[in-house]
Amino acid sequence: MSLYRRRPQIFFLLPALFVLALVMFYPLIYVLWLSFHRRFLIFNVSEFIGFGNYVFLFLQDERFWNALYNTLYFTVTSVFLELVFGLAIAVLLSREFRGRGGVLSILLIPWVIPAVVSAKIWEWIYNPDFGILNFILKININWLGDPFWALNAAVLVDVWKATPFVVLLLIAGFQTIPNDLFKAAKVDGASSWHIFWCITLPLLKPTILVVLVFRTLDAFRVFDTIYVLTAGGPANTTETLSIYTYKLLFHILQFGYGSSVAVVIFVFTGIVTVFYMWLLSRG
Amino acid sequence: MKRSIKLTLFCFIVLLFAFSSCDKKDLEEDNRVTIVFKYGKLFGDPEPIERLIKEFESLNPDIRVKDEVLPATTDEQHQFYVINLEAGSRDFDVFSLDVIWIPEFVRAGWLRDLTHVMPPELRKEFFQGPMEVAMQNGRVYAIPWYIDAGVLYYRKDLLSKYGFSPPRTWDELVYIASEIMRKEPGIYGFLWQGKQYEGLICNVLEYIWGNGGSVVENGKIVIDSPNNKQALGFVRDLIHKYGVTPKFVTTMTEDSTTRIFAKGRAIFMRNWPYAWNILEREDSPVKGKVGFSVLPSFPGYSSFSTLGGWFLGVNNYSRHPRESEKFVRFLSSYRAQKLLSLTVGYRPTLKRIYRESDIVKTQPFTAHLYKVFEHARPRPVTPFYMVISQVMQSEFSAVITGIRNPEDALKSAKKHIEFIMGIGY
Repeated sequence: MSLYRRRPQIFFLLPALFVLALVMFYPLIYVLWLSFHRRFLIFNVSEFIGFGNYVFLFLQDERFWNALYNTLYFTVTSVFLELVFGLAIAVLLSREFRGRGGVLSILLIPWVIPAVVSAKIWEWIYNPDFGILNFILKININWLGDPFWALNAAVLVDVWKATPFVVLLLIAGFQTIPNDLFKAAKVDGASSWHIFWCITLPLLKPTILVVLVFRTLDAFRVFDTIYVLTAGGPANTTETLSIYTYKLLFHILQFGYGSSVAVVIFVFTGIVTVFYMWLLSRG
Repeated sequence: MKRSIKLTLFCFIVLLFAFSSCDKKDLEEDNRVTIVFKYGKLFGDPEPIERLIKEFESLNPDIRVKDEVLPATTDEQHQFYVINLEAGSRDFDVFSLDVIWIPEFVRAGWLRDLTHVMPPELRKEFFQGPMEVAMQNGRVYAIPWYIDAGVLYYRKDLLSKYGFSPPRTWDELVYIASEIMRKEPGIYGFLWQGKQYEGLICNVLEYIWGNGGSVVENGKIVIDSPNNKQALGFVRDLIHKYGVTPKFVTTMTEDSTTRIFAKGRAIFMRNWPYAWNILEREDSPVKGKVGFSVLPSFPGYSSFSTLGGWFLGVNNYSRHPRESEKFVRFLSSYRAQKLLSLTVGYRPTLKRIYRESDIVKTQPFTAHLYKVFEHARPRPVTPFYMVISQVMQSEFSAVITGIRNPEDALKSAKKHIEFIMGIGY
């Protein structure tokens, strides 16, 4: 009771904590626990094997390393391109001009369309027989069926889809930069390039970091877009960690091993988040 | 403040509704037993199923059937059943099963033993392929509901124009396709399903079987046999050597191949029987120009098609097993199968229906499929099938995209499958 007197806020927080524990910590710990087991539902196999799953995963499972490589490639290229394009478009749109609102809302369409729907649309665009992309470019590339192109095609869809989101955040960031700075720089005779490099970019840094956190985590966990486009094929060249986990868990019901891959994803995203948070806190 | 009260009330009411819908009370009010029937969404009109349910209910006034529809894709349904049955769900009693899940579900103990529903003399009336799967260790666990198998479609107008008859061997197919492709520029030779998914397995197995090979034999993995190597090499050569199959086949599924073929842009296509209705639509450019046959094979071996199709099973956790059995028996009965065949176009699993005059008259295509279904062979019947399939999908895909040779792919597939099966045993 005395604790209630001294710090009543703790008790106010309890219900929320309880809900969080129920929907977040319990599944998390359960997955961790599962990952130490060999669990094959159909055969009633469930035994504790300690780090066995992880040993196999890191030392013997080529498919895991392939999926990790694909995930990293996808994350790095798509986030990089989204940031570059996003920044360019945001700079263009940060000035006042007639019809700016209209352009902005048109630009947002890709972001608004659900991922599965847009992936389906792109599947048609990429169709090597009657797809519009090959038709416009007057080439004949087997976008989703060629081991080299497939992952890059998925990157392109993600860039198309997520760039508007980046633009939106960056424009919001622009608005926090006082106009006086730009005016003063102009009076001092700075070129636009100089202004961008010395004023816009440094002051946008916090926003850019936020964008990076969001996009990196999203890209790292990418599932829907790629699953609809290629389902991991051809020859697993587009299989990311999430897709591999999904297949392990729900196609072949290896709950123990699948959970250990899920834990690896969790740890990776955790590291990325902590890294960005550290960058953010440094200002 | 007022608004927040309203919001709370709203949430409360929503929750109330959400939970009240799982309330079982409303089901058993009039002494009738309610059984729940789950099945995948039909392509087409669901009315015939509802009609059958009504009929069943009037025949059995003490039973009520509630039908619940799942999404059409196999994977989603599999996932639904696995999650629910693993948790011992009793929310549904009768459900439809894809042919590839049955050994797995039997091993897991999720399917009720239906041997008494299906005595030996009745078993003989069904096609052999589906019965091989329905029977595990001498017991019947599921009843074949409708059947599917790979078919070769061809452009009979083009074949007769250049004086060819439908190919009996794969080499003939390659020859005919390349001859016609030379004279009809812009046409594709042979389309099939090459995306990395279950459909790819169905396709490749047909070459393997048609060359005397198999994947599992007496519990041993024989996937790396010389015959299989040859067959898989041929599949790759269709694309990379003979060029009768376009490279983009590595992205193709059933729908996309049908679409191209229906536009009149290909000579041959391997597909399931469902494509026929699309090809023969009123507005189809190839209406009346398409023929079909049993798939070719390699010289000296007979032809096999991959068996598809759905079964009916009873949830082992069901509260009303007797009533469920009755319903399964009814739905798989001669009458019900015939109705579904005449209305929805399901291909019956009972052999005698194919010889009946009204089927022969109104559904000549179905009647002709008899021969295909007789040669339909199930994919490896093992509880590990889903695992084996995962391994084979990526290896086969690697071969047809040209980044791996058949020998390495099959060796690696064997290694993986054995590793996995070693865990299970």
